[in-house]
Amino acid sequence: MKEFLSSPKIKIFLSVLLVLIMLSVFTHNVENNVVSTTFNTLTYGLSKVTAAASQDQSEEKSYSELKSENELLNKANRELRARLIDYYDVKEENTRLWKFYGLKKEHEDFSLIPARALRRDSDDEFGSFTIDKGTASGISVGNPVLGENSLVGWISEADAYTAKVVTVLSPQTSIGAIDKATGDTGIITGSAKFAENNRTTFTKLNSEHKVKEGDIITSAGTAGIYPKDIVLGEVIEIGYDTYDTSHYAVIEPYDKIDKIVDVAVITSYQGMGEILSKE
Amino acid sequence: MSDRANSFFRYLAYVIEIIVAFALSTTPHLLPEIFGAKPVLPVCVALTAAIFEREIPAMLIGMTAGILTDISYTNSIGLFTITLTVVCFIVGYAANNLIMATFLNFLLYAAVTIGALFMLYYLVRFIIPGLDDGWLYFTRHLISRMVLTWICTIPFYFLNRLIQKRLNPEG
Repeated sequence: MKEFLSSPKIKIFLSVLLVLIMLSVFTHNVENNVVSTTFNTLTYGLSKVTAAASQDQSEEKSYSELKSENELLNKANRELRARLIDYYDVKEENTRLWKFYGLKKEHEDFSLIPARALRRDSDDEFGSFTIDKGTASGISVGNPVLGENSLVGWISEADAYTAKVVTVLSPQTSIGAIDKATGDTGIITGSAKFAENNRTTFTKLNSEHKVKEGDIITSAGTAGIYPKDIVLGEVIEIGYDTYDTSHYAVIEPYDKIDKIVDVAVITSYQGMGEILSKE
Repeated sequence: MSDRANSFFRYLAYVIEIIVAFALSTTPHLLPEIFGAKPVLPVCVALTAAIFEREIPAMLIGMTAGILTDISYTNSIGLFTITLTVVCFIVGYAANNLIMATFLNFLLYAAVTIGALFMLYYLVRFIIPGLDDGWLYFTRHLISRMVLTWICTIPFYFLNRLIQKRLNPEG
């Protein structure tokens, strides 16, 4: 075996293989290339002969018949191609809308605009991104942005056809939030320390708070900016900031913010802009 | 006849066999479709010839059959050329050093090779691009294509064994 592996046969084999791989890459990437043309020309004659031999089995048609049939087929082909493009557009839109259908059912008062991440801001470590919908679709600055599973951010800038989303990982974000299990309230705001791990913080907690790992944090909805009871994420750990002597919890959103593609923007909801009075 | 003349006619026979197999496979309306598929005859020729030949001739036979198969599928050199070249080289080596070229061994090796070859084809053409109808294609066409190709290797095995006996008595 050792002898075989060092024999000229292996060298020939590897050389041939290398050439074939290069030819394969070449023929797949270059249209009308000389290699494919050569092989097709070599087999063209044979194919022509075999096709002629099998012609008896197919119905013979005159030139004019074939021409008119060809025109009809071309027309049908064009129509089908146009329909196929429409089908792909509708299918893609349908897939996106289904993700937010459940949310819309739960909150009938929400006006949702589905959108897609158009590009990501490479110089922003807090995952901000630009979406493909803007003011022309009814989006305005401050609108909350939902991912498939949780609130992912808010609109910071909007032009006619695009809008920039600042995420919950950013320190620019400030969302009134509540721990549904214990009733503790605080502010969701991003932190450079946790943002790279797709985490944000639940700050300004009371010193006697009962927040614990695994609790689900939702929006409080008291400021009239974000709707009430929108899931923000889950508590991963509890911390104490010795610098400003405050308690906080680290929150992990249910969506991977840096990977998110499909979002929905809430352009209006019941109670939007109203400051709720504390009961 | 001299050894050189024997070799020449043997290789000529393989080339003719591959060309005829290619022509039969690609001629419209000639081979009937069974369960939605036709056998890929150049693959049958390459696998059966390789078991009777040494590594380099086996590799060249595999390469030729692979190029013709790829041209009939996609008009460019690709998966079948590379895989058949590799497989036939390995088979040429194995048949001369590791296994006996018996009919039973051949059936087993052909089944495994054809299965692997078409599964790789399915992976590259359907699974990796994530095509919707991949499973449908697999159940309606690919399984029957694999089985038919495997069955068609049997007559080619006996034909190539005959060629081997007549034109390479010492092999």
